Amino acid sequence: MAFPKPQATLRSATGIPTGRLAVWWLLASEVVIFGGVLGSYLMHRLGHPEWADAAVHTNTMIGAFNTFVLLSSSFTAVLAHQAAERGDGKTAAKFLLFTIGGAFTFLGIKSYEWWYEISHGYTITSNGFWAFYYTAAGLHALHVIAGAIIMGIVAFDAWRNLELQRVELIGIYWHFVDVVWIFLFPLLYIAK
Amino acid sequence: MSDHQEHHDDGHHVNYFKIYIILLVLLVISVVGPIVADVIREVTGVAWIATLLTLVTAFGIAVYKAKLVIENFMHLKWEKRIMKWMLTTSLLLMALMFAGISPDVMNHEGTNWRNVAAEAAVARGIDSGEEEAVEEDTAPAVEVAFDVESMFNIVCATCHGSEGLGDGPAGAALDPRPASFADPEFWETRDMDRIVQVITNGAASVGGSPLMVAWSASFDEGQIQEFADYVQTFRPN
Amino acid sequence: MSETAVAVEHHADHAHDHHGSEGFLSKYVFSTDHKMIAMQYLFTGMGMAVIGGFMAYVFRMQLAFPGISVPGFGQVSPGEYNSLVTNHGSIMIFWVAMPVLIAAFGNYCIPLMIGADDMVFPRINRLSYQIFLLSAVILLLSLFVQGGGFGGAWTAYPPLSAVGDYNQTSLGASMWLVAVALEFVAFLLGGINFITTLMNSRAPGMKAYDIPLVCWMIVIASILFMLSVGPLIAGAVMLLFDQTIGTGFYDPARGGDPILWQHLFWFFGHPEVYVVLLPAIGITIDVIATFARKKVFGYKMMLYTTVATGVLSFFVWAHHQFLAGIDPRMANVFTITTLLISIPIAELCFVIIATLYGGSIRLTTPMLWALAFMAEFLIGGVTGIFLGASGADIYFHDTYFVLAHFHYTFYPIAIIGTFCAFTYWFPKMFGKMMNETLGKIHFWGTIIPFNIIFIPLFVLGMGGQHRRIYNYEHFPELAGEGMYQLRELATYALLVMLAFQLVFFYNCISSWIRGKKAGKNPWESNTLEWTTESPPPHGNWPEGLPNVYRGPYEYAHPDREQDYWPQNEPA
Repeated sequence: MAFPKPQATLRSATGIPTGRLAVWWLLASEVVIFGGVLGSYLMHRLGHPEWADAAVHTNTMIGAFNTFVLLSSSFTAVLAHQAAERGDGKTAAKFLLFTIGGAFTFLGIKSYEWWYEISHGYTITSNGFWAFYYTAAGLHALHVIAGAIIMGIVAFDAWRNLELQRVELIGIYWHFVDVVWIFLFPLLYIAK
Repeated sequence: MSDHQEHHDDGHHVNYFKIYIILLVLLVISVVGPIVADVIREVTGVAWIATLLTLVTAFGIAVYKAKLVIENFMHLKWEKRIMKWMLTTSLLLMALMFAGISPDVMNHEGTNWRNVAAEAAVARGIDSGEEEAVEEDTAPAVEVAFDVESMFNIVCATCHGSEGLGDGPAGAALDPRPASFADPEFWETRDMDRIVQVITNGAASVGGSPLMVAWSASFDEGQIQEFADYVQTFRPN
Repeated sequence: MSETAVAVEHHADHAHDHHGSEGFLSKYVFSTDHKMIAMQYLFTGMGMAVIGGFMAYVFRMQLAFPGISVPGFGQVSPGEYNSLVTNHGSIMIFWVAMPVLIAAFGNYCIPLMIGADDMVFPRINRLSYQIFLLSAVILLLSLFVQGGGFGGAWTAYPPLSAVGDYNQTSLGASMWLVAVALEFVAFLLGGINFITTLMNSRAPGMKAYDIPLVCWMIVIASILFMLSVGPLIAGAVMLLFDQTIGTGFYDPARGGDPILWQHLFWFFGHPEVYVVLLPAIGITIDVIATFARKKVFGYKMMLYTTVATGVLSFFVWAHHQFLAGIDPRMANVFTITTLLISIPIAELCFVIIATLYGGSIRLTTPMLWALAFMAEFLIGGVTGIFLGASGADIYFHDTYFVLAHFHYTFYPIAIIGTFCAFTYWFPKMFGKMMNETLGKIHFWGTIIPFNIIFIPLFVLGMGGQHRRIYNYEHFPELAGEGMYQLRELATYALLVMLAFQLVFFYNCISSWIRGKKAGKNPWESNTLEWTTESPPPHGNWPEGLPNVYRGPYEYAHPDREQDYWPQNEPA
């Protein structure tokens, strides 16, 4: 390992490994970020019933398919974790790559979806609903991209059986991204 | 180095595949549910059953799916208690945030106030974005008692002064200074049409200062005409 | 497995061998050592303090002598005035108080005080400083772009902040927003580091109640920050979109609501003041325990009260919005919670006073600063009660009474707290003692003028002087001779106070160059940082990390002759 870890990193007074502890705290802060966006959206949506006219134009089937993609990617992520627990870095890396594939599929479908909506005139400045739609989904997509990149780095190390504990950590982050989408889907697609 | 693989010595063994299948089934139900709800609404005409069905299938299932993912995939079920507390705290804070803000943003009236702009928006319906946002007829659907003199003093006098002399407190720091309606020179180049135009679309629309903003979003044509008439009263004879 | 704290300690001993010859860049610029990163935060923060102080000097000159050509700046235009007050506030809170109190002293002290060799994530630590530095650079650049620095007040309420035509600083406004957002990201990353380090990396034998209070305070502050900043990040993204691409999140005509921004801002903004307060209180209590030679009166009381304060701080935010047109029923709720929160803070004051009582007081410079913190913050706190009562706030809102209140709280936090910590830990950081005489001259030359600046501002506020007005000559009822005399008095006092800061800078430099060599423990304190060299080497305790056998405040123990008992000495 190029970077020597200080002893501080290896201690664990709480019994939770430091990496995992840090990821949980990261998620706590992410909960309030997404909570802020979604809470604001919810208030406006409930206060503006006329936004239903706009909401009807989101494509529920595409949203559902993307949900399927993310759920599947969470499944492969947890299989990667299972492999890493056994010490099998190569299998873990393989499953992480499937997860990254899921991420790119999700992003690809979303790009198509947005291209379609924008070309039909539903842009971020069209009205309040679309503004929240693109902002919330966009923030989520940013987290998907960031997660995919970090997952790639973890997979690269795991392939060589290095830092296998990080497979679980990126997995936890990835599941969180999935959970956010689990809520985004009904909020933006189903609630018409 | 990294021999800190934690094995879950609580002895749990979750069948991840089983959980995955359950999640997919729930997804299907959550998509089908609202479709069924719409059919029920059309067929029976009863709205509340449909709404309840949508809420349960779309949102209730979302909550349950999230719980499955969090507990089983993220292993929160086997995590130390402190982490569960901490995440619960985040969620509770979001509920607190919603509770504290929604009375102002979500409601459109309280005991002593009304959000006139929001009520108007709901009443006329914001366009669904099928075309670029078009300048609509800005007549608000809600009637507000409008007294032009008091409204002038509230909205215009800060820059133009309560006597229309361009000497309002905020006006002092502006460059160019706000117009004085008692100045004969002002009236040499203005007629009623132009005054209405400037109030409606802002002075920038006629090449003037952007500091005189457009008021069409706040007042309708009739009210703007009343402002223009009121401004006329400052004109020296 | 790492179930117990006695983990595989010897594991990484070999890791430090390769730090033989480090280049300048890797030792000073790209260091991952928590002490060096702390220094980076400290000097950046202090540099920004000079800039923020300069801004205060300029606008106070304009207020006292309207139209004057301010030496070193020139005449102040109305737009420039708005930029100055906006950036003064933003800089002092986000680029001085937070980096110095939390990032600098947190980074420096936490690993040392818990007996660790570094933070748990040194590279993320470095990254967080780099992001922070970037945010500071962007903010400073925003002052020089077309239109100048953002002029919409540090609270950035839309529509003023959302519409460039209104605030006349549209590029500056977006850069300001990006700078603030980056600063938030930097502190989120840093916060994760601090929290995880304190939770996990304590020395063997250091139980939760053996942790020095300053470490607890900084970590609790980090938790408060992390949990409160999220909605504002969401809101800032929405504001940035409103500013740049024309969305209408805060535009009522487009279905938005400007009050939403206010709520999102203050949902963070109020816990934020406790985020900066807690470290200052922690520093104060640790310094007081050391120089009163006495145990903290109620360690657990302080800890639990602090947690209670933190929790309550999430329930008071709309007291900043009493006059914004919020639902009056909510105003009732927020008045009650705001008045309630004064109770735990008062509790903390009493604990500190009780700690002093019967102590063997050593009036060193750090002790003077700590005592001054309590006295001045007390004034700030009680004046807050007037503002928290929504009825009284109808009169006081947006007047200089508010301004004087928050300067009587922020200044002790950011300035007095900094000087307290700096003079206390200078020997550890630089291996030299600061000159006590110069320190005391600097102390009195800061504290006395500070009061003379802000007490007149209370009076002016009660007389109806509104905030954020660039020239009171436009308001005849505020332009009387008596009022101008008060403004001038405050401004002269500011000049005197700024002049005395030269004493501090001189003291720093001359002490660093030729001050008396400090040993390991010049203050005879108990906590772990005083058991290693001054300054500590890389790895903090190269010969082996310490174990802990008792709490941090075992002073004047009856069984011992020495009046202090370091935590790492075996029983």
